[in-house]
Amino acid sequence: MNAPLVRPGLWERGRFGLARLFRIREVGLISIVVIVSIVAAISIPAFRNGVNLRELLNNAAVVAIVAIGESLVLLTRQIDLSVGAILGLSAFITGSLLGQSGGIGGIGVILIALLLPIFIGIVLGSINGVLISFARMPAIIATLATLSIYSGLQVVVSGGSQVYAYQLPTWLSQLYTTSWLGVGSFVWIAVVWVVLFSFVMRILRWGRDLYAMGSNPEAARYMAIPTRRRTIQAFVVCGALAGFGGLLYIAQYGNVDATAGAGFELTVIAGAVVGGVSLFGGSGSPLGAALGAVLLLEIENVLALLKISIFAQQTLQGVAIISAVALYAVLMRRSQQPATRNRSQSDSDTSQIVKTEVQQ
Amino acid sequence: MAPVVELHDIHHSYGAVETLRAVSFSLARGEVVGLVGENGAGKSTIVKILTGVIQPIKGNIVVQGTERVFTNPRAAREAGIAAMYQEPMLFPDLSITENIFAGHQLTHRGTIAWSQMHERARSLQEQLDLPIDPQTPVYQLRVAERQLVEIAKALSIGAQLLILDEPTAVLSAREVAALYKIVRDLKARGVTILFISHRLEEVYQWTDRVIVLRDGQKVAEKPTTEVTIPELIRDMVGREISTLYPKQPARLGDTVLEVRGLTHKGYFEDVSFTLRQGEILGFAGLVGAGRTELAQSLFGIDPIDAGQIILAGYSFHPRSPHHAVSCGLAYLPENRLMHGLVPTMTIPLNTTMPIWQRLLSWFGVLSTRRVNRMTDLLSQRVRLQPGRRDRLVSALSGGNQQKVVLAKWLAAEPRVLILDEPTHGIDIGAKADILAIISELAQAGVGIIFISSEMEEVRSMCDHLVVMREGRVTGIFDCPVDSKTVMAAASGLQSIVEASA
Amino acid sequence: MSTVARRPPGTEPRRSSSRGDAANSWINVALHWITRWEVGLCLLIVIVIAGSAAASSNFLTPFNLETMALNATVLGFLALGVAPVIMTGDIDLSIASTLALCGVVMAVLWQHGMNIWVAAGLAIILGGILGLVNGLVVVMFELPSLAVTLGSMSTYTGIAFLILQGKAIINFPASLVQLGSGGLFGSDFPIASAILLICAAILAFVIHRTAFGKSVFAIGGNRQAARFSGVPVARTRILVFVIAGAFAALAAIFYLGNFDTAQANMAADQLLPAITAVILGGVSAYGGSGTIQGVVLALVLLQVLETGLGVAGLSGQEQTISVGILLIIAISGGAAIGAVRNRFRRREHRSSIALSATSETEEVSQTASINVDEDHSTHEQGYKSVP
Repeated sequence: MNAPLVRPGLWERGRFGLARLFRIREVGLISIVVIVSIVAAISIPAFRNGVNLRELLNNAAVVAIVAIGESLVLLTRQIDLSVGAILGLSAFITGSLLGQSGGIGGIGVILIALLLPIFIGIVLGSINGVLISFARMPAIIATLATLSIYSGLQVVVSGGSQVYAYQLPTWLSQLYTTSWLGVGSFVWIAVVWVVLFSFVMRILRWGRDLYAMGSNPEAARYMAIPTRRRTIQAFVVCGALAGFGGLLYIAQYGNVDATAGAGFELTVIAGAVVGGVSLFGGSGSPLGAALGAVLLLEIENVLALLKISIFAQQTLQGVAIISAVALYAVLMRRSQQPATRNRSQSDSDTSQIVKTEVQQ
Repeated sequence: MAPVVELHDIHHSYGAVETLRAVSFSLARGEVVGLVGENGAGKSTIVKILTGVIQPIKGNIVVQGTERVFTNPRAAREAGIAAMYQEPMLFPDLSITENIFAGHQLTHRGTIAWSQMHERARSLQEQLDLPIDPQTPVYQLRVAERQLVEIAKALSIGAQLLILDEPTAVLSAREVAALYKIVRDLKARGVTILFISHRLEEVYQWTDRVIVLRDGQKVAEKPTTEVTIPELIRDMVGREISTLYPKQPARLGDTVLEVRGLTHKGYFEDVSFTLRQGEILGFAGLVGAGRTELAQSLFGIDPIDAGQIILAGYSFHPRSPHHAVSCGLAYLPENRLMHGLVPTMTIPLNTTMPIWQRLLSWFGVLSTRRVNRMTDLLSQRVRLQPGRRDRLVSALSGGNQQKVVLAKWLAAEPRVLILDEPTHGIDIGAKADILAIISELAQAGVGIIFISSEMEEVRSMCDHLVVMREGRVTGIFDCPVDSKTVMAAASGLQSIVEASA
Repeated sequence: MSTVARRPPGTEPRRSSSRGDAANSWINVALHWITRWEVGLCLLIVIVIAGSAAASSNFLTPFNLETMALNATVLGFLALGVAPVIMTGDIDLSIASTLALCGVVMAVLWQHGMNIWVAAGLAIILGGILGLVNGLVVVMFELPSLAVTLGSMSTYTGIAFLILQGKAIINFPASLVQLGSGGLFGSDFPIASAILLICAAILAFVIHRTAFGKSVFAIGGNRQAARFSGVPVARTRILVFVIAGAFAALAAIFYLGNFDTAQANMAADQLLPAITAVILGGVSAYGGSGTIQGVVLALVLLQVLETGLGVAGLSGQEQTISVGILLIIAISGGAAIGAVRNRFRRREHRSSIALSATSETEEVSQTASINVDEDHSTHEQGYKSVP
């Protein structure tokens, strides 16, 4: 009589059982990406073009990396709207410092190039984290505010000038063009980050704490999970990855001006959302966020190749976010139990009831 | 028997109000102890102190002979004290395993050992008769199952004392029986259980000893075999209750609501009944019978797949609660505080919410004068002192908040008032107040649908009784009706095993 | 009722003496008024104006005042429109995009020969429709407004670009320019500001005096309870989105009148300032409280602050940064003030949060999770003002 419940049956053993629940969303995403790739490759010759693919993957890699950071924040039921600004600001500062370092070569420059943007991202991310944890600001407002502050700083620091590609060490732009095993370096870098964070989120307590905080913040506090500390840490990591994205930005474009990174946060969040990271927290994964980014950019690429206006892409992003959210909402709802009211199955063992009731 | 947990001379205050005074008792190994008392007697404060959420102002806690101070819930858990609340505090998106081991995951060289945890979770679940894949996310579980997860959680930390805080109110009878079995198992294994419940029959059946709290003090402590329920009530309330169910004889008027063949697939089917003005129509049945779902469909919250409703002679298709209210229906949901009040608004605004449309002056403005006048009138009827008009309802006591909710529906002057477990979780003193008000309403000609799981209440208050089971009406009786007849209809048995009643 | 049991005298729960209560209530009332958000805003406005006037003699000139007033118009309409949405506990990130799309449509229609005022009227209708779409998707499909308006923000901007691409339309009719930048009856007081103030007054009236407005606050305070109490929740929530859309269209009209240029990305940078103005104005980010007057005051404060900072030599970007910092200070400060107020309030009323057995664990967590969008686990009491 009651609607059948979607739930796994009794004892399910083995690797297949293990894989099923955890990866079902990611498996679906991979399949969609593969299908879209195949369809696009078959029907649009330009898609198969080596240059196109390489550029697509490199772009997707950057979005994916920042989306991983954003997914950590989203998992804790927060949001970081300032990632684009963090990327831009760290790209600019790093770029101009590298530009001014002139001929100084060697390890020092490489270290600066690698560590500085991440460091800037950490600083900016921790400001976000502190505002949200200690000043108790809602994440939307806080990161909207820091978004304006950081992008404002970017303009102020640039003072109207920009960083030019020729000022930067050549190995940076070479990083962008290098391929290993036929696949761009950016992709490999992204893969490393995905593997690392998948590990962290799955196997380390720190990662599970984030899931708990997003799933039920109150219970998390009750369980003595240090929510304030974790919130700050999540924003710090998000900032760090956004900063890292700034490094990739410099490598890819060379020229950095005051508008670098503007609007990027939208793409990142769209990617994460499409990848199944819930805006309510508690569910999703770094891998999902990365796959979502890939899917999003892939579709954008297809549209561009089909000569659909570049302006349609923004529209697409919007539609993608809404569709993804709606889809996941529908899927969740179908398997959800009524929260307040207990709908029991038919009571087969009624003699039990009678005994309980009558013995008074 | 050596005591597992002892409380010595516990005092606690909340601001200027003393919530606990010189409370001492001890709990022995393998004992099931009941803790009863009215709302506000201090039961939940004791629980909070035992679980480390708050600290006593004076007095100490001794666990297994050692004095302990719990500065936070974690300390209490580490001392072996765990609590399970009515609505378990779990992480819905996470698996059963993860919930069981939340905060103390099994690690292997710093990383989480998933397969080990799943195995261990399985074995714990087996002990509790919960045969569900431990990787299932908890949001897919029913409340009863979630409670079992909480118990598994307690077992996983080797809890010595398990506090059950009102667990049975949200369970079906079968689930209550299952829980009872688990309690007995735990008892046999030496776990001490502190059982808090308003359902005195259960306390009577489940416990070895009963402790009664009243106004923050322990007023009685006896072996369960030596008490009777009326004695318990007297101790809890401190006075004799002359008439608990003040039902006046009713003068029934015309039919105000007629329901024919109402169906909502999956929830209830082919429900038919009539309700007259001034009638109190009881709806009895086990939890899960479909009564709340029926109420919510009548009120426009849930859809209707088939059937007909005739309200005061007109065909009625409830489109939304707003529509239902404008047609003269009112609904008091079971979770009064969560669904009944807007905490950021004042008493007058909350009280008059359903009838704002009727208190307008020019241009749709809500007339403050009329709102205040209505509020004063209603506050009198529910015996609530309104106090300062701009006071937010969030500042009121729990009992007063419930009065505001009731006043709200009085304001609406409905034709039909649907009450879903109106006295659920209310202490005995206030219960009589509320039932009296309901009786008054019936006298005034309101047709009342009275959903309740307490057989006594339903049988004594109602003129007629509809019994539901699994979404269907299994009987409509004139009151007063025999309890065995009601039970038979509620549980579907033709004949009932006769036990000494 | 003779049959109702009453407490015999002497068994009331203990409480301390109430002699201190009378003195406490005076302090309370005084504190209540001093810490009212609007008072704080007024104070800040006075300080900033005084400071700016002292720094520059040009500040209080009619010309400068007129400029400030005009600059604030577009932002004003956006902020006023989105305020009710935030009061219901939702959010609308698409207002700037709605402005852009409505402005673009209006400009293109005019370019193709339509009378500018007819086009303006159609723009307002379009704004309402765009808001309606937002509202319908959020309410009917039960999706978080954050996600939906994030999506519609992109979508509407995208459509605006599709229509106009990178081009610009300029040289609008004198009548429109007059509306956007002209003075009232030939004086220096801008027509635009007059209309803005009138709209603000009407909106304030609707939000604070009518049943509809009370519904807005009820929904923001506890959506489920409002629904169960017969408040037309779906209808009200959709309507506030429509209002936001219509006001965004109004903003577009004044934008075109003031700047005389239509581009697909116009006013794209106004989203953040609009939300800043609303939050700064005392509207709780979680919904359920705040005032339109507060929003107006916040708009004034933001404008004089930005101009004042400009006078002090800060560049445009530096001003934006300062506004961001101001927002942070305002919210933190508000939370702090709220905590202070709560400390006083607790002593006066017998707080029963500790007393009721089971309902309160649900109560606390439920108030936290009622409005589904943002993270409400740190729901703070004192930051609100009673509407």
